[in-house]
Amino acid sequence: MDAITRHVLGNGLRLVMHRRAELPLVAINLWYHVGSKNERPGRTGFAHLFEHMLFQGSEHVGVNDHFRYVQQVGGVANGSTWFDRTNYYETLPAHQLELGLWLEADRMGFLLPAMTAEKLETQRAVVMNERRQRVDNQPYGRAFERVHELLYPEGHPYRWPVIGYMEDIAAATLDDVRAFFSTYYRPNNCVLTLVGDFDEARARDLVERYFGGLPSGEPPPIPSAGLPPPRLETSAETMEDRVRLPRAYLAWCVPPFGDLRWYAASLLSAVLTGGKASRLHRDLVYERELAQSVACSVFPTEECATFGVMATGRPDGSPEHLRDEVLRTLQQVAESGIREDEYDRALNGILTGHYHELESLDHLADSISAATTFFDEPERALHEHDVYSAVTPAHVREVAAEYLAARGSTYVAVIPEGG
Amino acid sequence: MSPGAARSTPTTAEPLDRRRAPVAFDAKAFRFPAVTRRTTGGGLTLLAIQRTDTPLTLLRFVNRAGGHFDPPASSGLASFVGSLLDEGTRQRNAVAIADQIEGRGGYLSSGSDWDSSAVSAGALSKHLPFCLDLIAEVASYPAFDPVETDRMRSLRLAELQRLLADPGTLAGRAFARALYRDHVYARSLVGTPETIARMEREDCAKFWERHQTQRGAFLLAAGDLDPEALHASLGEAFAGLTSDEPPALPPLDPPEAPGPEIHVVDLPQAAQAELRVGHLGVPRNHPERPTLLLLNSILGGKFTSRINLNLRERHGYTYGASSRFVDRVGTGPFLVAAAVDTAVAGRALQEIVTELRRLQDEPPASVELEDSRSYLLGVFPYTLQTLDGLVSRLEELAVHDLPDDYYAAFPERLRQVTVDDVHSAATRYLAPDRLIIGVAGPAKDLVPQLEPFGPVVVHAPSL
Repeated sequence: MDAITRHVLGNGLRLVMHRRAELPLVAINLWYHVGSKNERPGRTGFAHLFEHMLFQGSEHVGVNDHFRYVQQVGGVANGSTWFDRTNYYETLPAHQLELGLWLEADRMGFLLPAMTAEKLETQRAVVMNERRQRVDNQPYGRAFERVHELLYPEGHPYRWPVIGYMEDIAAATLDDVRAFFSTYYRPNNCVLTLVGDFDEARARDLVERYFGGLPSGEPPPIPSAGLPPPRLETSAETMEDRVRLPRAYLAWCVPPFGDLRWYAASLLSAVLTGGKASRLHRDLVYERELAQSVACSVFPTEECATFGVMATGRPDGSPEHLRDEVLRTLQQVAESGIREDEYDRALNGILTGHYHELESLDHLADSISAATTFFDEPERALHEHDVYSAVTPAHVREVAAEYLAARGSTYVAVIPEGG
Repeated sequence: MSPGAARSTPTTAEPLDRRRAPVAFDAKAFRFPAVTRRTTGGGLTLLAIQRTDTPLTLLRFVNRAGGHFDPPASSGLASFVGSLLDEGTRQRNAVAIADQIEGRGGYLSSGSDWDSSAVSAGALSKHLPFCLDLIAEVASYPAFDPVETDRMRSLRLAELQRLLADPGTLAGRAFARALYRDHVYARSLVGTPETIARMEREDCAKFWERHQTQRGAFLLAAGDLDPEALHASLGEAFAGLTSDEPPALPPLDPPEAPGPEIHVVDLPQAAQAELRVGHLGVPRNHPERPTLLLLNSILGGKFTSRINLNLRERHGYTYGASSRFVDRVGTGPFLVAAAVDTAVAGRALQEIVTELRRLQDEPPASVELEDSRSYLLGVFPYTLQTLDGLVSRLEELAVHDLPDDYYAAFPERLRQVTVDDVHSAATRYLAPDRLIIGVAGPAKDLVPQLEPFGPVVVHAPSL
């Protein structure tokens, strides 16, 4: 496997390249270091609405032509917004690399001339429908944002949902679009990753040609300065929803992505709910039949990370019972640690998962952009399982003790309406 | 505006003109990887692709024991059997199976859809012998243990309760029931609370036993493996299966439903309306499939298709709208799906009807056909990056009786389709005047908007 090479353009754009020539494809992936955490209350959801506007054409690319150019050569394209970042990506037939660079450079450098009030209105309606489809009309859809509202205090930028609140989406203006673009969509706030079958010298020339002349801007404001700490005390809330099965959500805040303790928390999540033989699945779903399903997640976010457990109960079950059982299991891990076979199984599963990630160019490119944006270490994406190997069972016990068992939990129960 | 055109000098020799899209050098050649086909003495067929870039393998056993064999009063039987297969064998109970495969960092799953049942196992290549033995054991000696059956039944019943609150599922069920009426495809693939509650381990064991033969079954394999060595080990691994003729497929040609008909599932509090609109399509191995793929790509198969550009980008009615001919061994549906703002559901439906009619009334522009053709040709390698992508292609060959060179020949078949072919297919395979429409949302807001399209029936949520 070829190594990773990197260059920084004069305007601050970071270019990372990794050759993988098994298939005649190239993945182009851009991470702008801006996400919902850069928003302010009253304008939540703006980073994501803005992402939609980046598909509405730029000075030299017509409305909807971004997708048209990509799809007419057999490429796939999309973008997504999260707490810390917004990504844009396309995977193209390898010989179409230049087309993708032209498209991305045009919207990085020449977006504003193409922005109109009509386009904003249409995308506002699309995003409102996206929110209805994914949140408001989705069973349990509101619970997740409620967990974050309780876990993070007033003023913390992980407190509001990435998609934003309906009234804030309605409030966004064309002036907001202009200001956001000028502040955050600069070459010096972006990582451009290329993975696939291409000639590196030519690719570098092309990137210089299309992006080199774009002006850099002031370094964007860093919202992490002076963040209030996440809550440590217990909070609990019950919501009624149009659901048939009760569900318990539990959440805590653990150290940020990149920290060894983050990887310990991630390994813990694999021990608890990764696969049918995992501790919580086996206990709650299989042996005692208290839960329909149980799953953990640890977000790869950079200020701190939400460690979440979600347990769906049986039709007549009690979410409090599920909560108590999850807390009891965490207490057990905090006191007695994990078994060697649990540790080995989790690490083996992570290694297999790592190879699966290497299979797909777009996933790999996204991981490289992440490792470059957060740590300035693109190679880390190829060697993440080595970082996991540095986690010991003792680290897992420590993170369970210090960050989960010893702290209050944020708990949201969802129960059937009228139930 | 023609990125596909060839040229001879590199861009970097010319001054940069951002107004013009760069045009590309010649495409790099791509061929579907070679498929090795071998058949054992017992009749099991191996389809294998060797790929050595990552140290992984994926194996999948497939036979035809899909939901199309569900008895009329037992909808969900095949699917229930599929979910029980990996929950214990005569040699290993469910916990031991999970412990052993997951301890190696691998994964095992089993399940059924309308057309087939499958057992899959993936892991690092060094565990291939273990995965093969485990898959064979699961397919040959499932225990259908009474305790596991009770456990899975109760999990499935709870899952059905979850689906009864899912607007997209409910709209899809209303659509399928009205479209297929007495045909097996009208029923719930995953069963209903009534049918699942009655399912016993004997029903499961009897169902699977009929299909426990090597004949007509496949082992699909992709990854860092040696196809010949794998073939050599199959006879012993699958010795527990018979060599009997598999059961003949049931008849799968449903009569056309007399649309238009509108079925509203009343969800008074819903924040949106889920729309499922369509009629009968064609079986997966239909000879005009390349034409229909192109037709659908123009109409609703990708982001820049007519239906999405109209409903989403022109009107903002939805986050996304798409259409497809659903792949089945029998006659699957042609279906347009969208979740739309309830207040504009009638207008959204009108735009869908307009787009179907437009493709019948006039041939597509040749640029639309060329864009769709180059999209389908170009995106093909993208779908083959992962072992799962490769095995899914092998599964299509197996389940739909396609020749081994199907994918190698596919680009040429796409290239032969003309504008007239697409237009002719639109007049024959689209039916905007007799649509079956399933909608889940607030009936009081929806009914007045939908009545102009045909008779409306309001239903309570059901599977």
